[in-house]
Amino acid sequence: MNGADGIVVVGAGMAATRLVEGLVRRGIGPVTVLGREPDAPYNRILLSALLEGTHREDALALRPASWWASHDVELRTDARVEALDRERHEVRLADGTVVPYRTLVLASGSIPVLPPVRGVVGEDGALHPAVHAFRTLADVRRLEAALAPGDVRRAVVVGGGLLGLQVARALTVRGLVVEVVEGAEHLMRSQLGERGGAVLARDLERRGTHSYTGARAVRVTETSEGTGLVLDNGYTLSTDLVVLSAGARPATGLAQRAGLAVGRGVVVDETLTTSDADVHAIGDCAEHAGRTTGFVAPAWEQAETLAAHLAGASARYTGTRTVARLRATDLDVAVLGEPREAAAEPGAQVVEMTNPVTCSHRRLVVQGGAVVAAELVGDLSRIGLITQHFDRRTVLGPLEPGALLSADRPSSGSAASVTSMPDEAEVCTCAGVSAGAIRACSSLEQARDSTRAGTGCGGCAPVVRQLLATRPSTQGARS
Amino acid sequence: MTPPVTQAAAGAPDATATHCPYCSLQCGMQLVASGPRGRSLEVQPWPEFPVNEGGLCRKGWTSTGLRGHRERLTTPLVRDRATGELRAAEWDEALDLVADRLRALQAAHGADAVGVFGGGGLTNEKAYLLGKLARVALGTSQIDYNGRWCMSSAASAGNQAFGIDRGLPFPLADVEQADVVVLVGSNLAETMPPAARHLDRVRERGGQVVCIDPRRTPTAERSDVVLQPVPGTDLALALGVLHLLDARVAVDEEYVAARTSGWEDVRATAAGWWPERVERTTGIGTAELHALVDLLAGAERAMVLTARGAEQHSQGTATVLAWIDVALALGMPGKPGAGYGCLTGQGNGQGGREHGQKSDQLPGYRMIDDPAAREHVAAVWGVDPATLPGKGRSAYELLDALGQPDGPRSLLVFGSNIVVSAPRATHVSERLAALDLLVVCDMVMSETAALADVVLPVTQWAEETGTMTNLEGRVILRRQAASAPAGVRSDLQVIAGLAERLGSTATFPTDPEEVFAELARASAGGKADYAGIDYARITAEHGVFWPCPDHEHPGTQRMFADRFAHADGRARFVDVDHVGTAEPTDADFPVHLTTGRVLAQYQSGAQTRRVKDLPDTGPFVELHPMLAGRVGARDGEPVCVRTRRGTMTAPARVVGTIRPDTVFVPFHWVGANRLTNDALDPSSRMPEFKVCAAAVSA
Repeated sequence: MNGADGIVVVGAGMAATRLVEGLVRRGIGPVTVLGREPDAPYNRILLSALLEGTHREDALALRPASWWASHDVELRTDARVEALDRERHEVRLADGTVVPYRTLVLASGSIPVLPPVRGVVGEDGALHPAVHAFRTLADVRRLEAALAPGDVRRAVVVGGGLLGLQVARALTVRGLVVEVVEGAEHLMRSQLGERGGAVLARDLERRGTHSYTGARAVRVTETSEGTGLVLDNGYTLSTDLVVLSAGARPATGLAQRAGLAVGRGVVVDETLTTSDADVHAIGDCAEHAGRTTGFVAPAWEQAETLAAHLAGASARYTGTRTVARLRATDLDVAVLGEPREAAAEPGAQVVEMTNPVTCSHRRLVVQGGAVVAAELVGDLSRIGLITQHFDRRTVLGPLEPGALLSADRPSSGSAASVTSMPDEAEVCTCAGVSAGAIRACSSLEQARDSTRAGTGCGGCAPVVRQLLATRPSTQGARS
Repeated sequence: MTPPVTQAAAGAPDATATHCPYCSLQCGMQLVASGPRGRSLEVQPWPEFPVNEGGLCRKGWTSTGLRGHRERLTTPLVRDRATGELRAAEWDEALDLVADRLRALQAAHGADAVGVFGGGGLTNEKAYLLGKLARVALGTSQIDYNGRWCMSSAASAGNQAFGIDRGLPFPLADVEQADVVVLVGSNLAETMPPAARHLDRVRERGGQVVCIDPRRTPTAERSDVVLQPVPGTDLALALGVLHLLDARVAVDEEYVAARTSGWEDVRATAAGWWPERVERTTGIGTAELHALVDLLAGAERAMVLTARGAEQHSQGTATVLAWIDVALALGMPGKPGAGYGCLTGQGNGQGGREHGQKSDQLPGYRMIDDPAAREHVAAVWGVDPATLPGKGRSAYELLDALGQPDGPRSLLVFGSNIVVSAPRATHVSERLAALDLLVVCDMVMSETAALADVVLPVTQWAEETGTMTNLEGRVILRRQAASAPAGVRSDLQVIAGLAERLGSTATFPTDPEEVFAELARASAGGKADYAGIDYARITAEHGVFWPCPDHEHPGTQRMFADRFAHADGRARFVDVDHVGTAEPTDADFPVHLTTGRVLAQYQSGAQTRRVKDLPDTGPFVELHPMLAGRVGARDGEPVCVRTRRGTMTAPARVVGTIRPDTVFVPFHWVGANRLTNDALDPSSRMPEFKVCAAAVSA
């Protein structure tokens, strides 16, 4: 036990790991990490990639098991924190252990919201055998176990948000017939506008995934064809598997019970300090400037800032620009910032282009010449540039937002006909030889020896050959 | 002076088999006397030399263009105190003056009051003797060279990862055997065109070439996969590749276990670089990254080659290390037709860093703070090891210190045009101006020579003999093919003349072959061991690859087949992470500036800009139509590029082949390096030439 002079981190997710890495790098400790899951910290955002099969499980581990101990960090898994006693500077675990702290960091993440669907949870408090959550590595293992026998053909994903769609796509890639149920009127309601959501639904549809929007699951039943999921629109979807992905809320219970200021999340200031100077909060559970996020980028930035702050540096967290990026094969969605809010700001201009035929919808919100938010669905050909402009707040020219949405790729050397090439055009840049000089030669050998064309990099050889093949025949006739 | 060596086997009886004066490829060529009374030299192919097989680029074909040039310096020049003008002087007068003033400065301010600045274009003999001049005759620790601005990040990375730094640990032609070749920041089709033949053969065999560059260069046009990342993010891209290799079980675990150490930490760092994060940082879409990894994971033989684009960054060493990590994860280094290599830039970029003109090294790639190394070299030099100075400042730090209270008060420059090639050039020019004495050896009045107090005219290539070590670690011989103009001396003679006047008791031979023999002895037992190499062997064997410890040793064409150069024989995975450029863009300087080369020019252009058969376009600013539209720039019309350090104006070249958030300026002319950033890589001390924040206006 590291004792009362240490830093205790509640939570062992991505924010916690980043913080510990920052502390280790700065030589600050001792550190105790209390994770409620049985697994060592892993990359949660890649769980759907694990399900899809693009990642192996071990690749999700954030640090090898030996790393923690060798850097003087005590990592305790299966450690559920029940209570925080701020006066005594200690936390109490479910198994009764008491852990004292000098500095406490809440990095407890978020808790999945269970939709009010009857029959999801049995009388024993356990999930219905066909119903799965999708939040932890353990959840994925349970899902994999259900898929293992190979007789699972159909799945319904409850929740048409970012994670739900990733899971739906992953299961489709695994060969299942998947349906998505979303209570809102369109998919990815928190990020996309109606049109973007509709284009996305169509894109999913053509990839074999049907979605029901504006429909809520209300009950799990047994039907002759397996498990039935009853929707409030009267449909009953027969399925082998139900995956719940109806969002999450910041884990604030511990903070609330301890009397810390809590809004949607645990309220922190620019130094990630809560209403108690010895208690900090980062990641999904933290609320900064009235906002909680749920993304890795802000969580990591907060972790970096807090590590610097705990090291005595004057670091300030001032917010993060978020890019929500759907991670699933062949499903291209990116949302930069908050398009709806940004578009509603005075002075905002919207440039958008929708192509229902190709299932693409792209919408840039421009404020003062800069892209301040964007929705990109079905066409990410320019995402590398658009995110750069967004992240760097580049002030663009008036034609640029439109140009960013028109699909032009840099043209490679145009395949202009060799016959129409003017004599003065340079053919061999290595030796500086013009088309005319080549045309004056009668053979490849002569061209090479007299002009040295093709003797450098050799890149002009095809053009030289064509020039010789198509050269005017008059010269030959005269000889 | 060695007489011209001719080689009957190479062709015409009066032909001299030698090598091009420019880049690290050191293409073989023959020089044949021609014209009235045989006074001019003609370049002819030397098809038997394997690196270029008789091919040359425009620079090579026209390389005799400086012979008899009207701007050629043929008499020493001394700045007249009264008029401030340079006037002609006798050699004795000039050398006496230099030696007297150096002695006076050292008497008043200590040995380190004199700095020496060398170049990666100098022969091994010159580089070696220059180091000896500094350490023995001058006793100064203040010596470094412009190779710091070339491939030093790759050198530093090679030493960390493999325990040795040889740019290519295999002959260049091995590239042809690879199934996938990844070029990170190399535009070899323009910068070393004859090398491109080897890439073409990869493709003819059905292999694939990947080109990673913010610009779609002529090299990219000849590649199968082109990735155009944000400048300064190649490191994040490599971590993304490692992430996916690990994710999809494409890491060669057996190789990693048997031949390397450190993978676990690298894996953990790469775990944090999933494709979408890489996309946001690098601007490379996830689909492109997946495609690259598909290619690498499926390749039997993959080869990663870095060049200045990866290396000239404040995180240059880390960037190269990350790409070496990729090669190691794939199990490639040491495997035939696969592995990692650096495409060195300057003619003797390799040899120039091995024989003691680097601030921290002694001949044979020995470290100057290693007592055993000092003892060995001191014995060859016949001096007490205790008299050898310690580690000095790196190139940019040396220039930055000139004329400062604790910095050198004089500088001797050999084979470098600092005013054009140093970063933050305006500041560097100010430092040069603050010196009590600037001495420049050159063959023409370079921009740096024009600032000097004493200019010493030296022989050029073809008028002197000496060895170079090309990008493969192959020691080759450049032979004298013509006599030098009257009034000109070789650098070796200048060094010897100064050493004698400084009263040095050590010997300073002026015959290159004699210097080479001494160099070979000094390098014996070092990492870059030349002990078994001599001029006769080089001639007979088309060059000899180091290490070559004795005359029976065949030389080392391929390294790492059985072991790496670390004591335990293992390669090191080095855990590095992306930090980003030293100067990110902001509202005032919203675009990235990157710099590079064009085909018809070489380095600072002191030579090539004076060759009349090479097109001298002058500098230009390459930018994308979107950016051009934003700032109102039009093709061919002047645009102004501004950074925190300087401003330059040049005609715009509006092209769709560059990233729209990036502008490119070639550095062969005065201007580009007024803009560049002097932020240094912590390990290689390489300045960040390849990216800084700029503003563009029409």
